[in-house]
Amino acid sequence: MIVSEPLPPAAITAYQCASAAGDDTQALWSGLQSHRSCLGPLQLFELPFETVVGEITSTLPAIRTALKEYDCRNARVALLALNQGNFRAAVEQAIVRFGAQRVGLVLGTSTSGIYDSEAAYVYFLRHGTMPADFHFMKRHAAQASAEFLKLELGLQGPCYAISTACSSSAKSLAAAQRLLGCGFCDAVLVAGVDTLCRLTLRGFHSLDLISAEPCRPMDIHRNGINIGEGAGLLLLERASQGNAHLPRLLAVGESSDAHHMSAPHPQGEGAAAAMRLALRRGGLEPGQIDYIKLHATASLLNDRAEAQAIAAVFDHPPPCSGVKGLLGHTLGAAGAVETIVCLLAMERGWLPGTCGLEEIDPQCPCPVLAAPRGGVRLKHVLGNAFGFGGNNASVLLQAGGDC
Amino acid sequence: MECLSLLGFGACSPDPELRESLSFPSVDIDRSSIPPLLRRRTSQATQMAFTAANRACNQANRSPAELPGIFASVGGEIQVTDRLCIELGKPEGVVSPTDFHNSVHNTAAAYWSIVHRCTLAVSALAAGHETFAMALLESWCQLADRGGELLLVCYDESWPAYLSAPLGEPAFACALVLGAGARDESMVEIGRPQPGLSETYPAFLQDLIGRMPVAAAIPLLTAAQEGGNKREIPLGANWQVQVKPLTFRGAT
Repeated sequence: MIVSEPLPPAAITAYQCASAAGDDTQALWSGLQSHRSCLGPLQLFELPFETVVGEITSTLPAIRTALKEYDCRNARVALLALNQGNFRAAVEQAIVRFGAQRVGLVLGTSTSGIYDSEAAYVYFLRHGTMPADFHFMKRHAAQASAEFLKLELGLQGPCYAISTACSSSAKSLAAAQRLLGCGFCDAVLVAGVDTLCRLTLRGFHSLDLISAEPCRPMDIHRNGINIGEGAGLLLLERASQGNAHLPRLLAVGESSDAHHMSAPHPQGEGAAAAMRLALRRGGLEPGQIDYIKLHATASLLNDRAEAQAIAAVFDHPPPCSGVKGLLGHTLGAAGAVETIVCLLAMERGWLPGTCGLEEIDPQCPCPVLAAPRGGVRLKHVLGNAFGFGGNNASVLLQAGGDC
Repeated sequence: MECLSLLGFGACSPDPELRESLSFPSVDIDRSSIPPLLRRRTSQATQMAFTAANRACNQANRSPAELPGIFASVGGEIQVTDRLCIELGKPEGVVSPTDFHNSVHNTAAAYWSIVHRCTLAVSALAAGHETFAMALLESWCQLADRGGELLLVCYDESWPAYLSAPLGEPAFACALVLGAGARDESMVEIGRPQPGLSETYPAFLQDLIGRMPVAAAIPLLTAAQEGGNKREIPLGANWQVQVKPLTFRGAT
């Protein structure tokens, strides 16, 4: 067995996020501060049941003509986030500094372009063929929006998608850290992008997991999850003295429950293993973690398993909270979107609350914050993402040097 | 890390013509590699992935529980997803909960970890026509990072012809048990993946890989079977790798 040095940390040099809270990170920050749920009635299509969703309601940007074959809601939501603030400029600067071949892209998604495929299938059922503009590889397949972003930005490095349901983009962060650490890239764009579609809404409903009301993570009266959509983009580079003031990805712990396709291990053993691994690989003790951003979907089994996992790993767990009552569960995008929530919390010394939580489930033995809390100093933060099939990832972040 | 070692491999295709064209052993779906309770619930994709992975672990004499997994596929569970999309397109369509959770790209990876009680990391990757190249790159990174060994499975089932024909045929799966660094038991030493191409695929493979991108693994498996000189082989349209076959192994 070869025992290697731990992977070097990666600096997070830029990030941007489009979500139900609004088109950019500033809107996300305002949403977190206001602590008012962004969930509302679904406008995009009709459903045969009641629920609320975290929908992006602003007008999405058009895909340019040369890349029209990639045009789908997923690509447009990715482009919406890309166009905010200085994010595109940051990627372009990385291309200038390192060369396009040295800038990679790892995208986490579970839906890819399936929202648009659903319309194509309605056409198919009427006409017996898919519509002329349907392009399986460039819209439907899992890597489609990754290829779109690569072409949109002119990247020439490694480019792939990780699609492990709701842990997809958390695991994409792990892959990006490895690409940097192994010298295949000097910068990696990590994207988590998922969009609302009938397949996931009706699919989760078929499993009796959808709540008709805004969800209530970790609450004794919770009754299921709400689906959201979003795009979280993060630019990772090798950590150096020059970027020591910026936040760092220290490690990602990855594990499997090896238990069930759609239910977590009841004691959260896989979740605990992912958190322990993140700590070990990041060289930290549990007592050094200042905040845990929960996966906390508001499904009974998930919430209880995660809380038990935290109780197993931490003798004295730090404050915890989850944001799915604010944004909905953005599925494959959750790892990236909620990592950005962690970055905002670290930079601003402010802990998000758990929107929807009023009375904590006594079987969730961890200190979950209902309301936001300001005036804190956060050096190390752990963020969880757990997916179907018992696919677990725990993301360990460190604040920039001056914290 | 200077190289990866291929410690065992397996290949599966339901297409007898494809199987006959390969110089290494390959089999049709082996239902005995899937627990009886799962046989009716799993797709062609998952069953092919299991068949190939099982053969690779057997050849390498490794326990599946001790290998992290990378499951790479272009279309994933496309037959299940297609069925769901057809239901969603009908006014009174019904979404099956089993179909829903079996439509995720990590379905094969998840069932593999559940069946074999593997609590290590398993991942599910997709990269279109570059799927095999990116999966080998991810394998390199994981092994360079943490050492040890892992299971790489590349698979795609037959796709409904109206989606993307001629893409999506013939169905093919292969699995490789890979170890970090040089090993005595290595069949082939695999160098660091490099961008660029100095060799291209022979014409018949070019056509096959155009229709079934994960067939890009065939030259590597052929080198494992047939031996030969140290050489560069393509991993797809944009990446290549140096292989150094070590042991000649006759048909098993």
